[in-house]
Amino acid sequence: MNLLQEEREIILSNEFVDSFDFAEVEEFVRNADKELFISHHFAQNKKMLVQPRGGFPTYEKQFALNEFFVNANVDVLPLTIDSNTRLNDYATAKKMLRLSEESEQDMLNGYPLVNHGYRTTRKMITHFNKPVSLRHGTPDARLLIETAIASGIFEIEGGPITYLLPYSKNFPLDKAFLYWKYVERVCANYSKLNLPINRESFGPLTATLVPPAITIVIQLLEMLLSLEEGVKSFSVSFSQSGSMNQDIVTGAVIKKLASYYAEQIGCGDAVINLVYHQWMGAFPTNKNFAESLINTSTVIAAMVGANKIITKTREEASGIPTKEANAKTVANTQYTLGILNGLPKIVDEEEEENLTLAVKAVMEAVFNNEADTLWRKVFNSIKDGTIDVPFSPHIINHNEMITIRDRDKNIRIIERGNVPLPDRFLKYERSKCDLNKDTTSIVNDIIQDIGIMQ
Amino acid sequence: MKVVTGVVGNDIHVVANRLIELSLNARGFEVFNLGVNTYLEEFFDAAVETGADVLLISSLNGEAEGWAREVKLLKENYKTLDDIVMVIGGNLVVGTADADIIIPKYKKYGFDLVFHQVDLNEGLDTLENYLKERKTA
Repeated sequence: MNLLQEEREIILSNEFVDSFDFAEVEEFVRNADKELFISHHFAQNKKMLVQPRGGFPTYEKQFALNEFFVNANVDVLPLTIDSNTRLNDYATAKKMLRLSEESEQDMLNGYPLVNHGYRTTRKMITHFNKPVSLRHGTPDARLLIETAIASGIFEIEGGPITYLLPYSKNFPLDKAFLYWKYVERVCANYSKLNLPINRESFGPLTATLVPPAITIVIQLLEMLLSLEEGVKSFSVSFSQSGSMNQDIVTGAVIKKLASYYAEQIGCGDAVINLVYHQWMGAFPTNKNFAESLINTSTVIAAMVGANKIITKTREEASGIPTKEANAKTVANTQYTLGILNGLPKIVDEEEEENLTLAVKAVMEAVFNNEADTLWRKVFNSIKDGTIDVPFSPHIINHNEMITIRDRDKNIRIIERGNVPLPDRFLKYERSKCDLNKDTTSIVNDIIQDIGIMQ
Repeated sequence: MKVVTGVVGNDIHVVANRLIELSLNARGFEVFNLGVNTYLEEFFDAAVETGADVLLISSLNGEAEGWAREVKLLKENYKTLDDIVMVIGGNLVVGTADADIIIPKYKKYGFDLVFHQVDLNEGLDTLENYLKERKTA
């Protein structure tokens, strides 16, 4: 038995798992309907796929939510996992699931997939026969993704950097890399049996003034870490920045560079998709304004040429949305996409060149790190500040980069910290901003810049 | 002047914490930022270790109230912290409550300055004035 299989048996011999049948799961994946694979829908390339967010604790409520989504003409169903499961606390998730089942009150903020188990969950997923995307935020997702794939969930979101730096203060980053290596390998192995399992990175990161250069570097690195383990279908993603032009430039650069770097490591045969997140920052409390914002996001996603859009709801500012509000967004987004015809093609060569220069410089610095494997190079680069994510709560992050918005609301880097951005790039970025202010005014500007949609 | 700062308890809201650090630096303070998700013992240990003049604790989700009750008791165990200026700010309750009720309560818990939903720069101006007055007194 190889080492990976040994590790899998240890992970799945868990008191919360009801006898995992490896052979049966393999047969299930081998014969699974192609409709369940998002990679099949990406390959058809008919339209931008629409995917909401959502997860409820009980099977019944999750089933009802999915029914609403299907009636609203959804393309991809979400399955959002509760926060106890994300921290591998299956005992608490189990207790809270029972409490949720015994009353009307939801005691979990998502679906506790491990506790429900794959035999139960598979019934729901094959019933709707739509692709499902696993949304979580788990540093150690080994058991979770085994359960997900066995259930018929063939898209897995996350990654060692994007699921850690925005969410945790001190979970060890090196461990996260190793746990995600397992995820990539399991996805790669199952991909050989049928259509490919799609992996998706979480580009929004902290969703707080993250500049495109940092987003793209991290997207490319998680893509490479995944492809080098044998994954054949991968989605890079980013969220609405606040400037339409900046989003179009980011989309163009990330597409070009994703193909370029995949080719560089001999993985040019992998399919790379682009996912766009509707505004991930603070939402307006006025629900009509929220709908307007959502609509604007959809227009930008179309201009960017995304393969999939992930939606918000008019209730974003007030908490977990009802299934009605959630389904309404799906229907509205489909309508907007349907009437968005004859879009102009916008190319901003100067901005693209500037952004490409920055991304390539940081990528080169990461590759030149003295470590022997890619994950160690990336780990060292985060540790020494070669990669710096604004507003990450994690202790390993340097927090020395400072970003503000220029007059057109583009996010610009005015202090690079330890990130090896070329002088020419920094000069260009700073030339777009008014830097004659004192720090107190800049801090006030930053507060404004974070809350631009409110 | 040395300031130790951070967000108390299991609160992970990082944005204001980062802005506080930037603003304190701009005002010439030497800042030791412990970041989010920081426990009281860690604050006091850092204050002793750095010889801080000010301890500035913040809270966004309001859980500070639960922690602040233990401030006096814990601080007594540290011999060198009698002169440190104790400041707390942010959203100091879960839900809503009047500043008239909150401020005296936190003063009783052992804080010299209490800012409940006060603008960052206004709060830091007050802190600077307080430090000046204390010096001349």
